[in-house]
Formats: sequence, C-alpha cells, structure tokens
Amino acid sequence: MGDLGINLPGLITQLVSFTVLFLILYRFLYGPITRMLDQRADRIKSSLEAADRARVEAASSAEAVEKEMANARVEGQKLITEAQEAARRAGEQIQERSRQQAEEMIARAEVEIAQQRDSAIEELRREFAGLAVLAAERVVERELDAAGHQELIDSVLEEGLSSSRN
Amino acid sequence: MGKLLSNPKVLFAAVIAVAILFTSVLGGALGASFGLGFLGGPIPLIQLPAEYIVEIGSYQLMNTFVMFWLAILVIVILVFLGTRNIREVPGRWQGIFEAFFEFFIDLAEKAGGGRKGRMFLPVVTTIFLGVLFSNWLGTVPGVGNIGRIETVEEFFELKLKKEFQAEGDSKLAKELKKKGFVEFFETYSEDSHVAEALSVFFSEHGEDKLIIFSGQSGVGFITPGRGEQWKVRLNQIVEQPSDLTDHDQLETFIQQVEEPRVLAGVVPDEEQEWTAQDVEDGRVGLLVPFFRGASTDLNTTLAIAIFAMVSVQVWGFSTLGFRGYAGKFIINPIKDPIGSILGVLEMFLEFVKVVSFTFRLFGNMFAGEVLLIAMGFLLPLIGIIPFLGLELFVGVIQAIIFSVLTLMFGALAVIAHDHGDHDEEGHEAHAPEGAEAH
Repeated sequence: MGDLGINLPGLITQLVSFTVLFLILYRFLYGPITRMLDQRADRIKSSLEAADRARVEAASSAEAVEKEMANARVEGQKLITEAQEAARRAGEQIQERSRQQAEEMIARAEVEIAQQRDSAIEELRREFAGLAVLAAERVVERELDAAGHQELIDSVLEEGLSSSRN
Repeated sequence: MGKLLSNPKVLFAAVIAVAILFTSVLGGALGASFGLGFLGGPIPLIQLPAEYIVEIGSYQLMNTFVMFWLAILVIVILVFLGTRNIREVPGRWQGIFEAFFEFFIDLAEKAGGGRKGRMFLPVVTTIFLGVLFSNWLGTVPGVGNIGRIETVEEFFELKLKKEFQAEGDSKLAKELKKKGFVEFFETYSEDSHVAEALSVFFSEHGEDKLIIFSGQSGVGFITPGRGEQWKVRLNQIVEQPSDLTDHDQLETFIQQVEEPRVLAGVVPDEEQEWTAQDVEDGRVGLLVPFFRGASTDLNTTLAIAIFAMVSVQVWGFSTLGFRGYAGKFIINPIKDPIGSILGVLEMFLEFVKVVSFTFRLFGNMFAGEVLLIAMGFLLPLIGIIPFLGLELFVGVIQAIIFSVLTLMFGALAVIAHDHGDHDEEGHEAHAPEGAEAH
C-alpha cells in the first residue's frame, strides 16, 4: 500500500476535504438550485394552466357576447315593430277621434242651425202673426169677417214666411 | 489547397507551423539521438505516490492535497458566481449550473424512478464536480514541472528511511527522521545496520540520475534544453565509504552529500553537456512538483470511492430498512443455499466496487499525466497540445463515469430484493458490471 502511495493520513485528509466540498455544495448549490428549478417548473405549470383557463373563459365569454348580441338584435327588432305598431295604432286612434269630433261638431252645428232656424221661423211667425193681427185689425176695422178673412191672413203669413226665408 | 497557399497570410502561417514542427522534432528526443535535442527537458521522476511539499510533524502535506483544495476552491468560486443572485430568469453562470443540474436531475429521476431519485443528486453532483475539477486542474501548465528541489541530502534521507523501515528498523527510521541526515550519521555511524543499509542503498540507487539545475534558489523548474544530457549519476558525485566507523571517511561522505561535487577523476560521459563546474555551482537533485493533479493520487480516488460507496449503503439502508437491505447480502443458507452464496458474493462486490472506482480514475489520470510528460519529451512545444485536449476530454468522461456509476449503484441498492427470483437477481448483478466496462 505504501508503494502505491496510499496512507492513512492522506486518505483521511482527502476524505475530510471531499466531505467539506459535499457539505458546501449541499448547502449552497444543491438546495438553492433545485428549489429554484422546482419553483420555476411549478410556475410554468400554473401559468400554462392559467392560460388554458383564460382561453376557455375567453371562448365561452365570446360565445356569451354573441348570444347576447343576437338576443339584443331580436329584442330591438321586436321593439321596433312594437313601436311601429303602437304608432300606427295611435295614429289611427287620433284619426278616429278627430273624425268623431268633427262629426260631433258638424252634428252640433247642424242642430244649432236647425234650432236657430226654428227659432227664427218662430220669431218670424210671431212677428208675422203680429203683422197679420195688425193687418187683421186693420181689416176688421173695416169689415170683420173672420172666416172670409182667414184666407187672407194665411196668405199674408205665407208671404211673410217666404219673404223672411229669403 | 493550392489556392489557399497563394494567400500570403496562410502561406506564412503554414511555413511557421512547419518550422515549429521541425524544431520540435529536432529539439525533442528524436533529435537528441543525432546530437540535437536542444529543447528536450529531462524526464522528471515518475512515481506512483504523491510527493510531499512540507512535513509538519509526522504529517506530510502532499502536492495532491494542495491541488484538491485548489479544485475545491475553484468549485466554490464557481458556485458563488452561479448562486449569489439566484433568479427565475437565469444569468450566465446560473444557467451553466442549471443545465448541469437538469442533466443530473433527469438522469437521477430516470434511474431512481421519479422524484425518489432526487436523493442521489447531492452526492452524485458533488462527485462529478470534484472529480472533474481535480482532473482538469491537473492539466494546467506548470502543474508537475514547477517545484521544490529535493537535494542529495534529502534523497539519501528518504531512501535510507525507507530502507530501515523495510528492514524493520523502525527505531533507526524514526531517529533518522528526527535528527536529520547529518546529525544522524554523526551519532549512529557505528551501527552496523546503518552501514548495511547504506551499501544496499548504493547498490539500488547508485545509478539513479539526478538533475543539474541552474541557479541557487530553492524553487526549481525544468527548463527546456536541459535534457537527459544534463543529468548526473549519484555514483559520480557521492562515493560509498568502505568503512563508516572511520571518522575521516564519514566526514568526507557527509560533505559529499551536503555539497555535491563531481568526484575527483570522474569525466562526464561523451554525450553529456555538464562540466564539473556545473555540478559544483548548481543544485543537484530531483524535482518535487508543488502541484500534482489530485486524481493522480490514490488517496484522493480512494477517498471519493469510499464516500461514494458509503453513500450507496446509506441509501440502501434508509430506503429498504436494515432488514431489507441486509437481506440482500445475508440469506439463510438452509432456505436458499445458492442465494446465500450469491449474497456473500454481492457483499464482496461492494468492496470490489470501491477498488474499481479507485483504480479506474487513478489509472486514467495518472496515465494521462505520464502521456503528457512523454509527449513533452518526444515533441516539445507542440506534442502536448492535442493531448491536452484529449486529457480535458478524458477528465470529463471520467467524472461522468464516476458520478453516473455511483448513481447506478445507488439505484440498484434501493431496489428491493426479490426472494426466489434468481433470474432477476442475475440481471441486477450484471448491470453494474456492464456499466463498469467503460
């Protein structure tokens, strides 16, 4: 052994040196590096997962947006048609009401006109009656022949009426 | 090709390259046989055990320990750069560590069956980094050829001490170490053991060649141009005393060892370039490198292998429980005689794994170092360049083999033993062997 250079002090020296190297590397190299590598692997894994999740979420939300849009479009269409319908109905109603009003006004006007005419006729008649009476008085003054003269009165009245009417 | 060469820059570079090639061939070992070899360095002493730099008490501080600590320092600096500001979005250094860790996390999770495999990670990655950097630092230029010069005196002291120890004279060895060479000889010169050991020493090491260094300071490096022809044999500078009890002879001997000079009457061999003056002025000795790749020392590789296999046992016991894991090796021979023998073999195999780990790494890295030295010797300047690249590659491969094998052994250790299913057992036992074939 001695000729090969193996001796106990040398062996112990090298064993101690190597053990020291081992401890140094264990403490300062192995620990930090593996911890860091594991951390990074974890982080890559989790960020890949997050990316996957985000992709799925984005896809589903795009779908939701699409659906929402379609809904909105349908809704809008419906609203428009409803509004158009309502407008049309409102227009019709207004038309109807105004026609009715117009008719009412016409009717009232006609009634009024008729009333006024009647009252005018009545008044005229009264006036003519007065006139006739007046005329009759005058006639009577001269000759009171009621029967003979009624004809005359009526003709006067007729005349008065037609003249007032004209 | 012709078109390329018509470009003056390329042509110039090609000429330079060819010139360097010729210079290195002629300056190296090949040219030395024709009397050239002006660039060759002497081959440094190649030995299996690491060399010590200083001796503190009886503890020898080896150059490989220093390199291992340097490797640890480099790793710690890199770790600091990589993790001082740890973020989810990584910087450059952090990215390197992350890629590295992801490779091993992936491997560990595949081998260990999901997240459970994480428990192998700290040990496996530490082994990888430790082995990789101790391999790589060994290829840095200057490692292995700058060092302390072991003087003739120290050379004697070391070799004699070994001689005494081999003879069982531990008292003499201790005394020699305590007193130092000169004082030891002044006191123990009468002892017949010493004279005997010395004569054995001379017969064994008398022809050993020592390098003549230039300059006077204690730090040396192998300069190019000082090849084999700048070496001197020990016998040429130190004469074996015939009688150590004779005071005069002893004094002359010690003087020779303390201040090397060429013995009177010795003439340098024909192809040698040194003169007597060079030996007297310069320093004569061997180069003891300050740095040597940590994985070229069996202590280092054995330590890492023991750490790895102890970890494997810990994983086994902690996953399967004491009975579960021990049951893999200790099987009732009455119930299952073949299984019990296999269990013993498998237990033995655990120790063999330590040995195979140790010698695989050591063998590869030591051979790599020798290869680099040899190429530097054969083709100075350029010979080393492709092999440096190769050595860097081998360094990574060995680190991967060491760490991945640890991982595989760990993965096998945590698999529950299947009683009565021999086919499965055979498969388990084979897997590590197949992997070890690398």
